Amino acid sequence: MDAHIDVADCLRRWKQGDESAAEELIRYLHPVISRIVRIHLPRRDHESDVIQEILMKTFSRLHQYKGDAPMSHWVSRLALTTCLDRLRAQKIRPEVRWTDLTPEETEAFDAAWYGSKTPDATDAIHARDLVDKLLSTLPPEDRSLILQVDLEGRSLEEISASTGWGISKIKMRLFRVRTQLRKTMQNLEERS
Amino acid sequence: MNTIPPDDKKWQALLAMSAPTFTGDDTPAFGFVTSTLARLKAEKGERDMFERIGLRALFASLVVLVGVVGFSAGLQLQERLDLEPSVNSLAQAEDIPIA
Repeated sequence: MDAHIDVADCLRRWKQGDESAAEELIRYLHPVISRIVRIHLPRRDHESDVIQEILMKTFSRLHQYKGDAPMSHWVSRLALTTCLDRLRAQKIRPEVRWTDLTPEETEAFDAAWYGSKTPDATDAIHARDLVDKLLSTLPPEDRSLILQVDLEGRSLEEISASTGWGISKIKMRLFRVRTQLRKTMQNLEERS
Repeated sequence: MNTIPPDDKKWQALLAMSAPTFTGDDTPAFGFVTSTLARLKAEKGERDMFERIGLRALFASLVVLVGVVGFSAGLQLQERLDLEPSVNSLAQAEDIPIA
């Protein structure tokens, strides 16, 4: 049984055509999916449509869910795969130049460096747009990896379990991603 | 001593600054559940319809197959019973019963 609802009971009721069971599942899974979509996709990427797409996939594949792990874990994997597929369809930026940044983003860049003021909600949005621009230079898997480590605080073992990659491969990829991000940041600083 | 390079610190600072934008919503937006349920219902209806059409098509093709097999078996049996005209007349003249 998952934390908030009796998933097995909901699934049984949904199979019998009970719509309220589907509603319960949607309300239960929404925060899980919303968090993953918000982390792994850029800010302006039709969030609501993606969440709905993931929910549709979830319901159409319910027969594959064996119940040996919490449903939220199973749906998280599905959500992450969908986000990665969506990112793969987008073009990877070759680089980010200082002139690509909006004045608000350059301000966020400086604020991150000097810590000049306490960030408010608007600063957070500008900083996010800048983060999205920096991440858009990375391949989808690398982008997802750095966010899992630096933002979600997941351990290498956890990532290894969910991706099937070996620890050394993850470390190698992380090193490569950090090097590339560092280079991008240095380029921005030189041109600022 | 293991020190974090300044650019990594800057990256971490940017992530920390933008952290509130990465938080998911606990509750769906107004109308989201209704529209998702409607879409779910429509897709389920479509799937059921395709299943029904598929079952009917399968049944119809089985009926056709049985018909064709029956017809060709009948033809074969007929051919076996059709004897040469000379053999047929001889059988009639001698009053030989043909099974």
